[in-house]
Amino acid sequence: MADFKEQVLDILEEVCENDIVKENPDVKIFEEGILDSFGTVNLLVEIEDKLGIPVSISEFDREEWATPNLIINKLAEMK
Amino acid sequence: MMNLKLIETIDKWAVENPDKKAFVWREQQLTYRQLKERSDALACWITNEYPNDDSPILVHGHMQPEMIICFLAAVKAGHAYIPVDISIPEDRIHRMIEGSGAKLFISQEALTINGTDKIRSINPFDLNKIFETYKGQKPQSEEAVQGEDNYYIIYTSGSTGNPKGVQITKNCLESFVNWAVNDFGLQQGQVFLNQAPFSFDLSVMDLYPCLYTGGTLWAIDKAMIAKPKELFASFAQSNIEVWTSTPSFAEMCLMAPDFSSDMLPSLKKFLFCGEVLPNNVAKQLLERFPEAEIINSYGPTEATVAVTSITIDKDIIEKYDSLPVGYCKSDCQILIMKEDGTIAADGEKGEIVIVGPSVSKGYLSAPELTEKAFMTVNGERAYRTKDAGILEDGLLFCHGRMDNQIKLHGYRMEIEEIEHHLRSSSYVNAGVVLPIKRNDAYDYLLAIVVPNEHSFEKEFQLTSAIKKELAAELPAYMIPRKFVYQSSIPMTANGKVDRKALLKEVTMTV
Repeated sequence: MADFKEQVLDILEEVCENDIVKENPDVKIFEEGILDSFGTVNLLVEIEDKLGIPVSISEFDREEWATPNLIINKLAEMK
Repeated sequence: MMNLKLIETIDKWAVENPDKKAFVWREQQLTYRQLKERSDALACWITNEYPNDDSPILVHGHMQPEMIICFLAAVKAGHAYIPVDISIPEDRIHRMIEGSGAKLFISQEALTINGTDKIRSINPFDLNKIFETYKGQKPQSEEAVQGEDNYYIIYTSGSTGNPKGVQITKNCLESFVNWAVNDFGLQQGQVFLNQAPFSFDLSVMDLYPCLYTGGTLWAIDKAMIAKPKELFASFAQSNIEVWTSTPSFAEMCLMAPDFSSDMLPSLKKFLFCGEVLPNNVAKQLLERFPEAEIINSYGPTEATVAVTSITIDKDIIEKYDSLPVGYCKSDCQILIMKEDGTIAADGEKGEIVIVGPSVSKGYLSAPELTEKAFMTVNGERAYRTKDAGILEDGLLFCHGRMDNQIKLHGYRMEIEEIEHHLRSSSYVNAGVVLPIKRNDAYDYLLAIVVPNEHSFEKEFQLTSAIKKELAAELPAYMIPRKFVYQSSIPMTANGKVDRKALLKEVTMTV
């Protein structure tokens, strides 16, 4: 799980171009303007490429994916 | 100059097809009868309250059906309207009011403009009362906006820190609608997608061709885009036939494997404008929607939405890596101007200049800015776009910008305007904004900041504080995503910020 968490955070850091996601995994990435709709597309592509978890854009919901920690939990469920 | 009778034609549908839906947004619908009755009523109220006055009217909101009622009411009463989306912060609205001399602010969000502005705010409750009180009254057609009067004014990013108002006359708009309806082969009564906020002139590409042909505008909103599941559910029940969006938006939709002709079986045309249409996006769309036609187009807000178009088919996709933006509409002309002011030869690069009736009168109350960008060619208005381009046998290709204006996900912005506000922040000593590319297209904005002394423990807290200050002045899409802090900013020998050196530096480290 620790590894998985690290992997997700690495992806988030890369896509968001921001280490804030590691410093504060409870940061609200959409509210804070760290990621927008277009960044989301990149994020889902990277998740599929690097973790092999296909996430359709239609399964994506900003409230459920609001922070790095929430994203880690969500992806862990889907694994 | 042609007279398309735009307003009369939209009104005519209220007689010929009164129960036809003009506008659908979520659970809300508006028929052509309601559109006419309510816009007539509001127009009469405006004429009563503001006799012998043609000051522009701000219409604020997002996708509410009342937005288009207010647009039509304003022009029926002889006033241009200024669309103001909810993404525009209040300070920026204040500057738009000051710059335009507007006296009336109609908000669907019950936003009230206070402060020093001598402006009257109308909320949804007031508006409904006006609809009731003035029901059945009809405005005089002589009151309406005519020929060279302003029809709408759209504010766009300005490099000095203040947004500038592009004046679009009724003639400009009618020339556009006439071309769009004929050249795009639009039919009567079709369903049109509206994706863009009304303050972005891409929305005009679907709004008026739709209403003119008695069609139905199917509006999607920001909240749906944030929850794509809702967006696709909306698509599935829409029967959209004509799609208008930025290429970025279509690219996002392509991420969903079920975004195809199965989801949108009636879709006949994709109309794209606002930014570069990437070759692979066009290709994927043709695969997913084999029956649909893709039309690429080009034009700045200053030349009324778009002035060139071309159908992008398999042959064009194979032939050109960077897709062409098309041929000029017949009442206008495109010139490619070289630095010395002479006209470039076929195939030679230069600045794209647009000549003809599509071109705006200029920026509202800004003669100096107008003088710089607009000119007259053979007695017709002309606009220097600062877009670099090449004409090949009448076919136009775009080659980026000649200044610091960029398109980020379809939104037009001046880097200098963002820097102006960044440098005004109390936390910032010096700051530069760089647009960062991903696969040839701009992906996000990066701010490089030399901070003032501050008491934050962590950099991200400082970033958050600066972003909050910027949010008071700039729409969300203009706020840099990433912040990098440095002790100094490199300068070139002649004292300018060395953007190239900075870009190299930051792309090495990120």
